[in-house]
Amino acid sequence: MALTWTRREPARRPAGAPAARPAGDEALEGLLALVARGDEQAFAELYQRVAPAVFGLVSKVVRNPAQSEEVAQEVFVELWRTASRFDPARGTARSWIMTCAHRRAVDRVRSAESAARRDDLAGRRDQGRPYDEVVEQVETSLEREHVRRGLEALTDLQREAVVLAYYGGYTHREIAELLGVPPGTVKTRLRDGLIRLRDHLGVDA
Amino acid sequence: MSADLHTLTGAYAAHALSDTERLAFERHLDACPACAQEVRELTETAARLGGAVAAPPPPDLWDRVRGEALVTRQLAPVVGRADRRRRAGLHAGGRRFPPLLAAAAALLVAVLSVTALNLGLLGRSDRSERTADLVAAVLAAPDARRVAATPGGTGRATVVVSRGRGQAVFVASGLPPAPAARTYQLWVVGRSGPRPAGLVEVAGGGRVTRLLDGPVTGDEQVAMTVERRGGAARPTSEPVVVVDL
Repeated sequence: MALTWTRREPARRPAGAPAARPAGDEALEGLLALVARGDEQAFAELYQRVAPAVFGLVSKVVRNPAQSEEVAQEVFVELWRTASRFDPARGTARSWIMTCAHRRAVDRVRSAESAARRDDLAGRRDQGRPYDEVVEQVETSLEREHVRRGLEALTDLQREAVVLAYYGGYTHREIAELLGVPPGTVKTRLRDGLIRLRDHLGVDA
Repeated sequence: MSADLHTLTGAYAAHALSDTERLAFERHLDACPACAQEVRELTETAARLGGAVAAPPPPDLWDRVRGEALVTRQLAPVVGRADRRRRAGLHAGGRRFPPLLAAAAALLVAVLSVTALNLGLLGRSDRSERTADLVAAVLAAPDARRVAATPGGTGRATVVVSRGRGQAVFVASGLPPAPAARTYQLWVVGRSGPRPAGLVEVAGGGRVTRLLDGPVTGDEQVAMTVERRGGAARPTSEPVVVVDL
C-alpha cells in the first residue's frame, strides 16, 4: 500500500462532511452475494453483523417483544430468500437490509392494529414525545450520538415528523393528525428533515 | 401533480405513504432520475436512524431464523445483473486481498457494530479499568469522530478520534492472529514520520480495541504493521491498515 511514512498534506473531506457511512458495508455486500448462492456460513455472519440493528429497529417500531421477534425472524428469512435481488448499483447492503426491516415492521403495525393504533394515537398526545425515548437510549455509542446530534439540529417539526414516521411507523396523514398540521406540511418537513440529516451524517449514495 | 410528487421522497424513504400513494410515487420514480437519486440518499439516511437504535436480539432468534431459512427456497437472480455487479467490484467469493503478508492476505478488518463494540470493551479482562475508562471517554467525547480505513488497501479498520481529548482508539474485528513471533504494532504518522503508538493484542473473534499511546491531534494517519515480537522503533514493513484522520 502506498504510504510514505510521512504525513502527506491533508486531503480534507468537503467542509462539514463527517466520516462517511459506517464502514464494513463492503463486507456486507460480499456476504449478501454469498448468501444469494445459498452459503449458510455467510448467512450466519451476515446475521451476526446486522441482527442488533435489525432487531433494535423492529423493536422500536413494533414495541411488543414477542411480535418484534416474529418480525425480525421474518426479516432475516426474507433476506435469505431475496438476497439475489440485492443490487449494489441501487444502494448499500446495509440500507437494503434496514429498508426491509423497516418495511416489515411498519407493515406489521399497520395491518394488525388499525383500531388499537387509533387509540394509541389518541393516547400518545398526552405522553412524552417519542423523541425523548430516543434520546434516553442514546448514551454510549458514537453512531447514536452522531444521529442524536443530527436530530437535534432539525427544527422541532422536522424532528417530530422524522421520529414519528421512522421510529413510530406512522403515515404522514397520521402524523399530520397527531401534530395538528396539514399533511402537505408533514411531507415537506419529512423531506427537509431527512435532507438535513443526510448532510449532517455525510451520507453519500 | 408532478411538482407535488417531488416532495414525497422523504415520506417514501420513511415508509410514511399509504399503499396507494406509494404505488403512484414508484411510477413517478421510474420517470424521474432526480427523485430516484434523492430517494437513494434519504433511504441511506433513514437506515442510519435505524442503526442508532440497535439492541441485542434474543439469543435463540438465530436458531429460529436458521431453521426457517433452511426450508425456504431462495429466489433466482434477475438475469443480466451479474455484469453490473462485477462492475461494482463484487466477486461472489468476496474480496481478494494481495498475498503480501500472510496476515495481510487474510485480513478482513471490519468495523464493529455499536453493540459488538461495547461487548468488546466489556470483554477485555486483560485491560486495566483505567484504560477501559479512557477508551470509553474517547468514544463518548462530544467531538469524537469515527474514521474508516482508506478503502482499497489490504484491510479495513476504524479509528475513533477526539481532538479535544487529543486521543484516539483503534477498533477492528476479524483480525487474524499475528504470525509466529510477530506482533501487530500501531503507528501515528505525522509530518515528521511515524511514531510508535502501541502493540496490539488480538482478542477473541480477532477483536481489537486499543487506545493509542501518546497524543493524537487528528491531523495524522494511523497505521498498523506486522513487527517482530516486542515491537520496533521504526516500522519495518508496509502497513496492513492505514487510516487517514
